[in-house]
Amino acid sequence: MLAALRSRVFAALSPRLAPLRQLQRQQQAWGELLPARAISFSMAPGKQGFLALEEVVKVLNDVKAGDVRVIPVGGLCGWTDHMVVATGRSTWHVKQKQKGAERMLLPSIEGHEGGNWIVIDAGPVVVHALDEKARSYYNLENLWAAEKSPELPSQVLSLLLDSENISIAEY
Amino acid sequence: MIQPQTLLNVADNSGARELMCIRILGTSNRRYAHIGDVIVAVIKEAVPNMPLERSEVIRAVIVRTCKELKRENGMRIRYDDNAAVVIDQEGNPKGTRVFGAIARELREFNFTKIVSLAPEVL
Repeated sequence: MLAALRSRVFAALSPRLAPLRQLQRQQQAWGELLPARAISFSMAPGKQGFLALEEVVKVLNDVKAGDVRVIPVGGLCGWTDHMVVATGRSTWHVKQKQKGAERMLLPSIEGHEGGNWIVIDAGPVVVHALDEKARSYYNLENLWAAEKSPELPSQVLSLLLDSENISIAEY
Repeated sequence: MIQPQTLLNVADNSGARELMCIRILGTSNRRYAHIGDVIVAVIKEAVPNMPLERSEVIRAVIVRTCKELKRENGMRIRYDDNAAVVIDQEGNPKGTRVFGAIARELREFNFTKIVSLAPEVL
């Protein structure tokens, strides 16, 4: 998946990126490509990221990632605009999406080693590729979809209260 | 400024409740850890009936410090407590939810997973 994403981005941005080819290290590429964001921490300037949302979804569908879900979180969390959650069939499948990737094209890829949760952080769009188990364990959709409704604070509260109750009971 | 023997709160639902730093990872002879650093810690207190137990050695990422965090624009952020999130060797969080406010610098230190589980990012 990652390889596919990368090639797609590369095709789209090749004129801009050509001089950066010699930069092997991701950190350098990050600094070069995103000076405003990297330095000032403001996520707002120019909403243009590396990947258009439609492109991401299309690529994910192309590589048969299961159950692709786009969650708009612009008004909720302030550090990104869209979250894309996708499932790989197996650890191998999740991992395969990034195998052989040169890391310079996408801003930040996290979770190479394990392969059950890989995050591609492209500024306004954050792509989460998880395997079946990790997806149900972390339940990201619920977190961000539920945050829209006013239930979440109470959910968290009840969660906290639950843990408190357990401890109180124990004592 | 987290150093060995510092006690930290746990900012997730992994089941640990209090940690003690025993080592800062990264370079040798490093004195203090700050937000975004990985430490080795011991669980001093744990929630009963959870997978993590007392006196277990784990890795954790520092997410809040009393010592202020400086930003380039002059902003300084300091929290009321020292807190960390328990992670495994691969950097995946052990818990499924992170509590409390978290600095967005974590994203730049490649802890996007923790940031995406957090309710509030400063």
